[in-house]
Amino acid sequence: MMIYFTLNGDLVEWEADPSESLLSVLRRQGMFGVKSGGCAKGECGACTVLLDKKPINSCTLLAAQVTGHQVETIEAMGEHPEQGWKKTAGLHPIQQALVESGAIQCGYCTPAFALAARALIEKNPNPTEAEVRAAISGILCRCTGYLKPVQAILRAAAVMRGEMIPPIMGTPETETQGWPVSMPLPGDQPESSAGLAETTSQTQVMPKIWTSQDAREKPRTHIGRPEVKVDAVKLVQGKPAFSADIEKRGMLVAKVLHSPLAHAWIKSIDLSDARALSGVAAVLSYKDIPRVIYSTAGQSDPIPGPLDAFSLDRKVRFVGDRVAFVAAETAKIAEQALRLIKVEYEELPAILDSRESMQPGAIRIHDEPEFVNFADSNPGKNVAAEIRIDIGDIEKGFAEADRIYEEEYTVPKVQQAHIEPHVVVTYWDEDDRLVIRTSTQVPFHARRILAPVLGLPVKRIRVIKPRIGGGFGGKQEVLIEDVAAHLTIATGRPVIYETTREEEFIAARSRHPMRVRMKTGVKLDGTITANAMYALSDTGAYGCHALTVTGNTGHKAMALYVGDGPYRLSPNIRFYADVVYTNTPPAGAFRGYGVPQGFWPLERQVEHIVRDLGLDSIDFRLKNTLRSGELHPFSTAWSEGREPRPEIVHTVGLEECVRQAKAAIGWDQKYPNVEWHAVPGKPHLRRGIGVATVMQGTAIPYLDMGGASIKMNDDGSFNLLVGATDLGTGSDTVLAQMAAEVLGVPVDDILVYSSDTDFTPFDKGAYASSTTYISGAAVALAAEMAAERIKIRAARMINKQAKGLEVTEDDIVLGNKHASTRDGRAVTMQEIALNALHHDDQEQIMGTGSYYSPVSPPPFAAQFAEVTVDVETGKVVVDRLVMAVDSGIIVNPITASGQIEGGMTQALGYAVCEEMVYDEKGRARETDLDDYHIFRADEMPALETIFVQTYEPSHPFGVKAVAEIPMDGVAPAVGNAILDACGAAVLEIPATPERIWRALKKVTP
Amino acid sequence: MIKAYYRPKDLAEALEILSRTDGEYRPLGGGVTLSQMSAQTISVVDLQSLGLNSLTQEGQFLQIGATTTLASLANLDYLQPGLKSAIRLEANQNLRQQATVAGTLVSSGGRSTFGAALLALDALLHWLPVDQDQALGEWFALRQPPVNALFINRVQIPLNASLAFDTIGRTPDDLPVICTAVAKWPSGRTRITLGGFGSAPILALDAPELGGAEAAVRDALSRAADPWASAEYRQEAGTRLVLRLMGQEQAV
Repeated sequence: MMIYFTLNGDLVEWEADPSESLLSVLRRQGMFGVKSGGCAKGECGACTVLLDKKPINSCTLLAAQVTGHQVETIEAMGEHPEQGWKKTAGLHPIQQALVESGAIQCGYCTPAFALAARALIEKNPNPTEAEVRAAISGILCRCTGYLKPVQAILRAAAVMRGEMIPPIMGTPETETQGWPVSMPLPGDQPESSAGLAETTSQTQVMPKIWTSQDAREKPRTHIGRPEVKVDAVKLVQGKPAFSADIEKRGMLVAKVLHSPLAHAWIKSIDLSDARALSGVAAVLSYKDIPRVIYSTAGQSDPIPGPLDAFSLDRKVRFVGDRVAFVAAETAKIAEQALRLIKVEYEELPAILDSRESMQPGAIRIHDEPEFVNFADSNPGKNVAAEIRIDIGDIEKGFAEADRIYEEEYTVPKVQQAHIEPHVVVTYWDEDDRLVIRTSTQVPFHARRILAPVLGLPVKRIRVIKPRIGGGFGGKQEVLIEDVAAHLTIATGRPVIYETTREEEFIAARSRHPMRVRMKTGVKLDGTITANAMYALSDTGAYGCHALTVTGNTGHKAMALYVGDGPYRLSPNIRFYADVVYTNTPPAGAFRGYGVPQGFWPLERQVEHIVRDLGLDSIDFRLKNTLRSGELHPFSTAWSEGREPRPEIVHTVGLEECVRQAKAAIGWDQKYPNVEWHAVPGKPHLRRGIGVATVMQGTAIPYLDMGGASIKMNDDGSFNLLVGATDLGTGSDTVLAQMAAEVLGVPVDDILVYSSDTDFTPFDKGAYASSTTYISGAAVALAAEMAAERIKIRAARMINKQAKGLEVTEDDIVLGNKHASTRDGRAVTMQEIALNALHHDDQEQIMGTGSYYSPVSPPPFAAQFAEVTVDVETGKVVVDRLVMAVDSGIIVNPITASGQIEGGMTQALGYAVCEEMVYDEKGRARETDLDDYHIFRADEMPALETIFVQTYEPSHPFGVKAVAEIPMDGVAPAVGNAILDACGAAVLEIPATPERIWRALKKVTP
Repeated sequence: MIKAYYRPKDLAEALEILSRTDGEYRPLGGGVTLSQMSAQTISVVDLQSLGLNSLTQEGQFLQIGATTTLASLANLDYLQPGLKSAIRLEANQNLRQQATVAGTLVSSGGRSTFGAALLALDALLHWLPVDQDQALGEWFALRQPPVNALFINRVQIPLNASLAFDTIGRTPDDLPVICTAVAKWPSGRTRITLGGFGSAPILALDAPELGGAEAAVRDALSRAADPWASAEYRQEAGTRLVLRLMGQEQAV
């Protein structure tokens, strides 16, 4: 049928199927700024367009419905101000504000935010923050925590009202029309909270920063500046930057048939009807492709885990496991073909509770003869990994304790829920090389792992990672690339495979759920004498990341408290874990990588101890935590399945983090204040405040490696090629800042190209909080190599001017796009470039660098939370989260604080609402973003981020990691705040109203 | 699968198409639900050109056109605040611009806050061409329109009844595990509804006064167990909410 409507001011007349959504039609017509969240129910709002000036979800609207209406997409909102000789009006003020305010992380939901904001401001030019939050509450963002998008929209509204708004990078003294300029001076300390005064939201874009003396002694030009993200302008325009934003002639659509049973043999599979369907190009079952065992975990070689997966197998091991692949001309035909596949199953008993996996007589989930063990995996016992770590003498430590505390805690399986689903496009290029354009965090690992699976040498595969719409570990997995690749091999045609939101829940990866037993020995003065943790970790049907995730549960969490006095020198710590198979969807990598699972039990246990002993909650923690100059207690015991080597922790800003965050939240005014805990006029409500202290790691020592190369262009700009994978975190930007710092040019003279296995150097990928540290050091090395060549040439050029004393390269300083001598002589970068490329003793000025680290310096943080609990119903509202973080030097305060805000928000979901539950048949309770609730803009607590800058000596710019640590402390801080509010000791997260209510019944039966 | 799309220009044309017998024809409101259907082959009849999106006050009643969006209804100044809260929780900001009142009601399940609120208000669905009212409670119980009815053209709610509403979810915007609405008329008539579970919101009490409400709520929730919450919890929490809402009503 034909549809007619006004699109971005122009009347269009298009063909559409009656059942086709507006989203589908718009993307087919090239409106790639309209994104798909993988659903047709309006769950996430990524597909927002304006229909007659109102934001709606184009996935839920039939294209036919818009006939006669006006539709607006991001494509017409604004554009780059300079298109060569053509000048344009530039970005819309809303887009400009989103760019400047750091509101864009992965950028997948950014066009939707921009359009919703436009609809709001056109109707209400002076919206309140609450109105802004309501206006964008139909759009889910998994990256930002909404703080910066909200502030950006408020800024844009002010600009559109004609108000003068100071730039984000202004000075703290400046204030224009009530807008606080939030760039703090180095060393500017957060103000102590008034204590009882409440605000609805943090209203500043920039975080507060406290800087240690040693860090202050190293002033920088670009490091520490809130530079605009290098990809922000394209993302805010909705440019076709993501994996699915591509058109290939003859491209087929792939779909996967998933198992309806949790554990079964495929007795027979009949593909004939599906293959006979018109428009179907290929249907593949396990009979059609090579049987190659591998691990889907995107990790370095050798994979530190069992090899236990096939692209397709005769056995299915969870509801959602793969049964067959289809490629067809359209998605509709592919779905029809799936329904025509006839499968006869022989159902097997299923293990759905991890406590049953190792029981005698339990059915074996992995009985394939090809299974390859790693370390202590044992498929005969359904054990994917076993960890036994003893540090010191644990029994002696318990014997020396005055009190011993034992408790069991439970943490859930949760989903990464990146808004962009997994997407891959595969095709043969003109050299018969397979090109894989995919939303991956690990392009180089994907290439290496896929090669044997596809029967191709590594050199005949090219993996391209475009922009990624969020990953959070979910894309540290070779999860979908083989599907499209097998189908391209089978058909010779390009294939796209986009998972649906339901597939994300039933067939993608998740955080390992664990049951954790703690046993802690303590002296009455608060000295920890021994601390033991046992984790029963559920890896689901496959063992991807089984060993390493669970190992980090102990390695990071249990390293924080070493004890005091003699125990500080010789701590007694035990971490044992069994990682078992069950017939549930596989777990995998998820931001925090096992560490949040460790800090829930640890920090809840600590709170229980201090309350029982009547000690100060914060003093107890600081008395026992790891300090600067001490040995990381696990560094001699375990290193992700590789040889451990001793490691000294040089920078620990934890005490300052506690001091700053405590002041910001008003701990001293609230914690001991009986009146504060009551809510006037509402006796059923109680307020509580809680704390947790946490640590993470920065990369994997002696393993993680990143490479970079830099070349100089004619105009003095530089191409920076990195294998590092920016999944929305802003790593491309901070790497550009580091290069700019060394080369003395503005950041916009650094053109970053990342993650293409043909063109960029190797990088292990985006995980383990490593990019700024590892890849950043590689960039610094590459830039220094280029800088050296620049200085040599500059000295030569200056000497040729014969206007002063002869200089050498050691006399040259790079800065402000010049190479200068101390006496003021200088040549520009452009002059140097032209000289090098065209004029004299020609050379390509370039540099390369690669880096791996012998250490993994931990970041530290203090997390505080305030809650209000309904003591009659167990309903809890988290009112405020404050986090002070020691991540070393902060390269970009805006992107770094965005990491903290977004991480805290994900962690908040872990604390109170997110979990994946299965019925007695192994079927998922949560298959969409309605049941699996992630926080919306209009229900967020106030967020506040404080950075405590230490200077990490192992890195050229003093940095440590920032991305994962915000996942660690929110849940236990919220749990401790609930305990403080009403005495309810919730041992299992999420802390749902019913769980709190049941815990309350134990307090007041 | 949708095989054909129609957009009639007037009621007569709509009724003519919907009464055809050569397949299944369904009225299309905002499309939020129908656009998801893939297994069945249907034709849809889009009601958007019929002018059924009006809001009219008639005496003590509000006549809500069937294709009025949830957003439009929520923007009505004089709408009961409790109903506004229920609408806000029913669907997110984007969906509220698109979802229609009638479409939301006919497709609502047990976790529908809007359904629970309108059930408390004893809403009436007006069907064409039979020109017949059907109580929302009857629709929830039967999921069948009156004989020969083809589509809803309006929904009626009282404006002289107050409505208090509360909900418990894991977060402020979450789908409820328990929600309750208490409607009270000047005569003293009180209706208490419960939602957050099951296939539709349920009526716990319709009485000339508040007496017996607690027992009625406990009884109504005695078997309200599902994977999201136990019946025991829902009984306790639901009772607490109802008692508080009744207190608010009495205060009013």
